[in-house]
Amino acid sequence: MMERGYWIKSKPIYTSLVWHEKATSHLVVAQGQGGLAAIKLFQQMHPQQPVTTLYEHSDIDANFAITLKKVVPEDLHLLKSEQEVVSLLKRIMPTKRMGLRIYVAGSEGFIWAVAEAVKEFGIEDADIMKELTGTLARSIYCVHCKAITHNITTNIGKCSSCERMLFVRDHFSRHLGAYMGLMVDAESPGQLPEIEEIYP
Amino acid sequence: MSMINAIVAAVEQVTPLVKHFTFVKEDGSKLPPFSGGSHVVVSMDIGGRVHRNPYSLMGSPEATDAYHISVRKQENSRGGSVFMHEHVTVGMPIKITYPVNLFSLAKKGHKHILIAGGIGITPFMSQIADLNRLGADYEMHYAFRSPEHGAFVEQLKKSCSSRLHCYIDSQGEQLDFKALLGDQPLGTHVYVCGPSSMVTVVLETARNLGWPERHIHNEQFLSPPVGEPFNIQLAKSNIEIQVPADMSMLEAIEAAGVEADYLCRGGVCGRCELQVLETDGAILHNDHFLTDSEKVSCKKIMPCVSRANGKRLLLDL
Repeated sequence: MMERGYWIKSKPIYTSLVWHEKATSHLVVAQGQGGLAAIKLFQQMHPQQPVTTLYEHSDIDANFAITLKKVVPEDLHLLKSEQEVVSLLKRIMPTKRMGLRIYVAGSEGFIWAVAEAVKEFGIEDADIMKELTGTLARSIYCVHCKAITHNITTNIGKCSSCERMLFVRDHFSRHLGAYMGLMVDAESPGQLPEIEEIYP
Repeated sequence: MSMINAIVAAVEQVTPLVKHFTFVKEDGSKLPPFSGGSHVVVSMDIGGRVHRNPYSLMGSPEATDAYHISVRKQENSRGGSVFMHEHVTVGMPIKITYPVNLFSLAKKGHKHILIAGGIGITPFMSQIADLNRLGADYEMHYAFRSPEHGAFVEQLKKSCSSRLHCYIDSQGEQLDFKALLGDQPLGTHVYVCGPSSMVTVVLETARNLGWPERHIHNEQFLSPPVGEPFNIQLAKSNIEIQVPADMSMLEAIEAAGVEADYLCRGGVCGRCELQVLETDGAILHNDHFLTDSEKVSCKKIMPCVSRANGKRLLLDL
């Protein structure tokens, strides 16, 4: 299945968060387990330029809000949902100037929701540093019925809308924040390859 | 490489050092369309030797009846600009390449800061036409030596109106790059074309302020530097060629009758890149294309502007 050198250009690459040395201000946006990535970032050093931090802590199993309050000395916003993060971003982005560096840590869905929210302010996703935390579970876009199914951890997943069995591809839509899902048994109905968890 | 057969339709002295040339197609038909920031390579036969220099297209990309270029006379050059100034006259046939754009506008940008020094204004002339047509937000910052050297200022005042900012060195006016780039809205792109010292300052300033690389654009065509003569060996053609002091490797290869790829001929586009199979000396990399590590590895060379100083330089050509 996984050949050496296999690589799809649209597949996003996530890294660990590291401060940009050259910047005029910084914006850190994290969610759930991503709070740990934000804490690690603040442990590297505290930049000289102003830092704004947004943290969504609705996940009770991964809540780093208390520690973040200790390590983030200023401008920390604790929020209860992704929607709150997005609306606060829309309020603060117009005040920011060129030289702002953006860091996002959280689930894949959260990362791309943030990227989509700041896009209208002229930020390209390639300019955002992204760390994927917690799960590798994928959102799948069904190319047949166009529905998006979240939290798929296996190589083949069932579309939540049309119930087709979809092969989970590496082709990724930045706009939708989802991977392409293609009917796996179209030519031989009911005959499915082995279903394995590969996005734990 | 296929060329356009053009005729010089007009020559205008714009400043003491700058001439504006208008080209039309020999058969009277329209020229190919292009986008703002494009350039063409003009072929010149100077004493039996072919010179090819890149020049930015200045006209509106929508007006394809004619192409417009401007040439600054460079006294200490290998003769291309002097030839354009002293020998190119109205009615002369001239061969040019199809337009290529290595300095295009970032269409998704929210605002565009254009910075020109001297003759570096030329690529912006066509970009401004595009920006005006798109209704885009932009500022044109134009620095030049003294009032008589400010080419096209009147034309720019009309096309840019209040978006034009001039800085005249002889009147003590300086462009404060840090102040300019230090306070721009998100989504801004900066473009610079001018002397290398200016390009370097703009690139450094933007980078130090934390502008992402994707938002920083520059165009800086180099003319092939004069150097010591050296020899090259072409592996596939199985010949040895001497590169004279005042000729580039690419020109010497072409003069020997070997076909080589090229686009900009100014060390920018990367098209003429050749693989170095063997070398016993240093490669004098003069291009803006190869990365620093590629330059150190000495496995690749851009023959349009780079030279060598060994006895042997075996190329995969």
